[in-house]
Amino acid sequence: MAKKRNIKVLVSKVGLDGHARGAKVVSSLLKEAGMEVIYLGMFHMPENIVKAAMDEDVDVIGLSYLSGEHLIFTPKIVEEMRKHKLDDVLLIAGGTFPAEDIPTMEEMGIDKIFRAGSLTDDFVQYIKDNVKKR
Amino acid sequence: MKKKRNVKEMVEKLLAGDRRTAARLITLVENEMEEQHEVMKEIYPHTGQAMILGITGAGGAGKSTLTDHLIKNFREQGKTVGVAVVDPSSPFSGGAFLGDRIRLQKHFLDDGVYIRSMASRGHLGGLSRATYDVIRIMEAMGMDVVIVETLGAGQDEIDIIHIANTCLLVATPGMGDDIQAMKAGIMEIADIIVLNKADLDGADKSLRHLQGALSIVCPEEGKWMPKIVPTVSVASKPVDLKGIDELVAAISEHQEYLQESRAIDQVKFERTEQELGLIFKDELQKLIFKGLRGTGKKRKYINSIIEGRDDPYSVVEEVLEKYLVTK
Amino acid sequence: MDQTNLAEKENTCKTSWDDYLKAYYEKPSSLKSWSGYDLKEIYTPADRPEENYEKDVADAGTYPFTRGIHANMFRGRLWTKREVVGIGSPADTHARLKYLSEQGGSGLNTIADVTYEMGLDADHPWAVNEVGLTGVNITSIKDMETLTKDIPLDKVSWSLITASTAAPVTMAQYIAVAEDRGYKLDALRGSIQNDPIHFRYCGFRPACPLDLSIKLGSDVMEFCTEKMRKWYYTTVNMYDLREQGINAPQEVAFGFGIAMCYIDELIRRGLDIDDFAPRFTFYVSCHMDIFEEVAKIRAARRMWARLLKDKYGAKDPRSMQFRFAVHTAGCSLIPQQPLNNIVRIAYEALTAVLGGVQSLHCCSYDEPMCLPSEKAHLQALRTQQILAYETGVTNVADPLGGSYYVESLTDKMEEESLKIMKQVEDLGGMEEAIRTESLDRQCESEAIKRQKELDNGEKLSVGVNVFTEKQEKTTPLGVQRVSAKSAKQQIEEVKELKRTRNMKKLRDAIKCLRDDVGAGKNTIPAMIEATRAFGTTGELLGTVREVFGYPYDPMETLESPFN
Repeated sequence: MAKKRNIKVLVSKVGLDGHARGAKVVSSLLKEAGMEVIYLGMFHMPENIVKAAMDEDVDVIGLSYLSGEHLIFTPKIVEEMRKHKLDDVLLIAGGTFPAEDIPTMEEMGIDKIFRAGSLTDDFVQYIKDNVKKR
Repeated sequence: MKKKRNVKEMVEKLLAGDRRTAARLITLVENEMEEQHEVMKEIYPHTGQAMILGITGAGGAGKSTLTDHLIKNFREQGKTVGVAVVDPSSPFSGGAFLGDRIRLQKHFLDDGVYIRSMASRGHLGGLSRATYDVIRIMEAMGMDVVIVETLGAGQDEIDIIHIANTCLLVATPGMGDDIQAMKAGIMEIADIIVLNKADLDGADKSLRHLQGALSIVCPEEGKWMPKIVPTVSVASKPVDLKGIDELVAAISEHQEYLQESRAIDQVKFERTEQELGLIFKDELQKLIFKGLRGTGKKRKYINSIIEGRDDPYSVVEEVLEKYLVTK
Repeated sequence: MDQTNLAEKENTCKTSWDDYLKAYYEKPSSLKSWSGYDLKEIYTPADRPEENYEKDVADAGTYPFTRGIHANMFRGRLWTKREVVGIGSPADTHARLKYLSEQGGSGLNTIADVTYEMGLDADHPWAVNEVGLTGVNITSIKDMETLTKDIPLDKVSWSLITASTAAPVTMAQYIAVAEDRGYKLDALRGSIQNDPIHFRYCGFRPACPLDLSIKLGSDVMEFCTEKMRKWYYTTVNMYDLREQGINAPQEVAFGFGIAMCYIDELIRRGLDIDDFAPRFTFYVSCHMDIFEEVAKIRAARRMWARLLKDKYGAKDPRSMQFRFAVHTAGCSLIPQQPLNNIVRIAYEALTAVLGGVQSLHCCSYDEPMCLPSEKAHLQALRTQQILAYETGVTNVADPLGGSYYVESLTDKMEEESLKIMKQVEDLGGMEEAIRTESLDRQCESEAIKRQKELDNGEKLSVGVNVFTEKQEKTTPLGVQRVSAKSAKQQIEEVKELKRTRNMKKLRDAIKCLRDDVGAGKNTIPAMIEATRAFGTTGELLGTVREVFGYPYDPMETLESPFN
């Protein structure tokens, strides 16, 4: 009999952006919500993030963007995920974005976007409800 | 119904070094999925050749930065390195913060390094049965060295000596009382005691304490005498790092000792004994509960214990006789 | 709408009319200050039984300056209306600067982008994706020429926001350009942020190791003290620390702790406290709790005066004056119902002025979405102008002074800040608290607390946990984009410069810089010469880093081209 599956999440900053407060807070709150969280920290290029996600076999990748870099890095991350066939990994992003970019990022391949001013219940519940079946 | 995974195919891919498959197989054994036995049976013949290094110590002692330096060193020697970092799960939420990846990030893009974080998931003693399996999987994917890093909180320090060929205990200055308390069991725990953060105040005193603790021990002729290696594993300038080469040398020395004295045989014996015990314990419990399923007897037994009509020992004896021994 | 429809509508609105009743009888949800201190229903003279006006409060312009650093405050001069600008290439930033000064801005204020702050040239592999995204990239003296083109550097007051160890490079680039245009150094007015220690908490740790931060930060301070008497050579940035989630007294305590690291070094170098302290400035946050923030500022003024007098033996009253700029709290702004941010910013700006601010940056309302658009930037400036010209707040110094509540809260802020400073001292001082990551841990645990306050409704934020609405589809006033073309051009220009410059001349200049660092001399003079030889930001900093035993490149990707 298989045990209840624990949700494993990788949280990372992308590129040089040093606004890490949100990423750290979210990591702690996901842990409190019963998830296993790998906080990758700052200064990661897309290849790095996706390779770590693959090796750790995570269910969710959470990206934190606060410097307007979201439209530059998102396609690269999605491309890396395709390359490694991480098609059953939920990709979410948090941070500061104009409303206009949300549909664009969703088209690029982000499953869900949480802007600054989101509450913990919102993203915890979203992850629990949407983790992809394996 | 979930599609059954093709175990043979997965194991073949693993043996060819496929990381994605390794990652999936580790999840499979961590979650004790139904294919676990089949997978491990297939993998087992391809394991046993790696050097297994255990690193344990209190939180913040610098285990991950030491691991980082060791990885670098082994890579320079041309060896591939697997790392399993075990962090505790919260007893309240079941969640875990597997944070030390930050310190290991320089190796992310190196194909000769495979790092996997694991949550202890409520196993007392930190090291679960899955840890054994994960080591095997890393061996099967071709890792020459497997480092197992655990948070030392008492019991797991003992556990890790059974799993590792060479066991490192990481201490820091200012642990004063802890070091005193460790005296009793210190010999059983570590092959090498690393006094990390040796640039801090109080390092000399701690070093003397450790040496004092060791001096009262007279190992049998030809047995390994634990070594103390002071290190500085974090420094913003490379030039301020200390003791890493010495640590690597001490590890080699211990490896040579294991081979020359044939002590490695004893290590392997004990490891296999513990592994076997763990599997027996898990599987027997599963088997028995499975046997009771649908009979209503499990509930009956439990209630009779609660109501004082019976006790757990008598129940276990009865069940074992009925379902196993007499069978 | 016909009658049936109306009746139906009234019926379906039933629950919201219940809410209406609830709203009528509503009471405040929190009786605590923003930082979490319990407050009383009313404050009276009994709350300050020991009050000694002359000793603890005193008139504005009089020690300990609790009420302000000038006797007549804004009657003497309004605060400087200084909106931070930094976008895309030096030319893009220059255009926005000109626009804002035409609209009544009274101080220039430019901010470095993440690549420049990290000490990376625009063509660095880690920089190419992010040039100009969060500020302006200045790789060489040519970029500084473009940025300052046609601006009379002796007439304007220019605030250069480079906080990291790249600050001495910025200073060298600015000085070289100014001198080459014929300005005397002592005619230049303005400031440089130059607080590399605090910047380790903002994601710039690779560029800001502690010893290098103290060395290079103090080099700028020492050089300006000797050569640029009208220049404010540091703005210790308590604001950025506050943005990490800490509370008001922590902001003051940690900011002062960092300031003391620099002061101790300058004294160690043999400078007299009264020679340099009058040019020391701070960057302070103004968050949403109006009275607590005013009290924090008043307490900081009193504490700074006493610290400089008692601990450092300052004799010149100007050394004891806590001078500060305010940045309204970026982290109080949210993308939900974004126009509400204009109101938040206005309250925070009011708070800054009630606190006696010297220079003010109002966030633009679109801060939690993108860089300020031109319209949003103008709106932020207009917020300051309405405050200055229409509200009467400029008439009287320290208008809240003497309020039983504000005076009592000022005492509380001082007491709590001193407590934290004592804790830092007990850890072995600020450098030790930084080294052992004690500050990191405090920032992290406070930040989690802030989120939980919102999650459980302890703090209310309109649009987040109360009066929420469906997400809007567009950004009012439009979205500011950073031109990819500008960034590309900037990168190409840097590559071109590196191909065409005189390498012999550059090598010599780099050697001088290396020798000066090795000999323990002030690095600024050699940096000025190296920048004139077209040495770039990354090259100058990398050279210094190597002498200090650090990798040439903070991202550990490039090797020095000079070895």
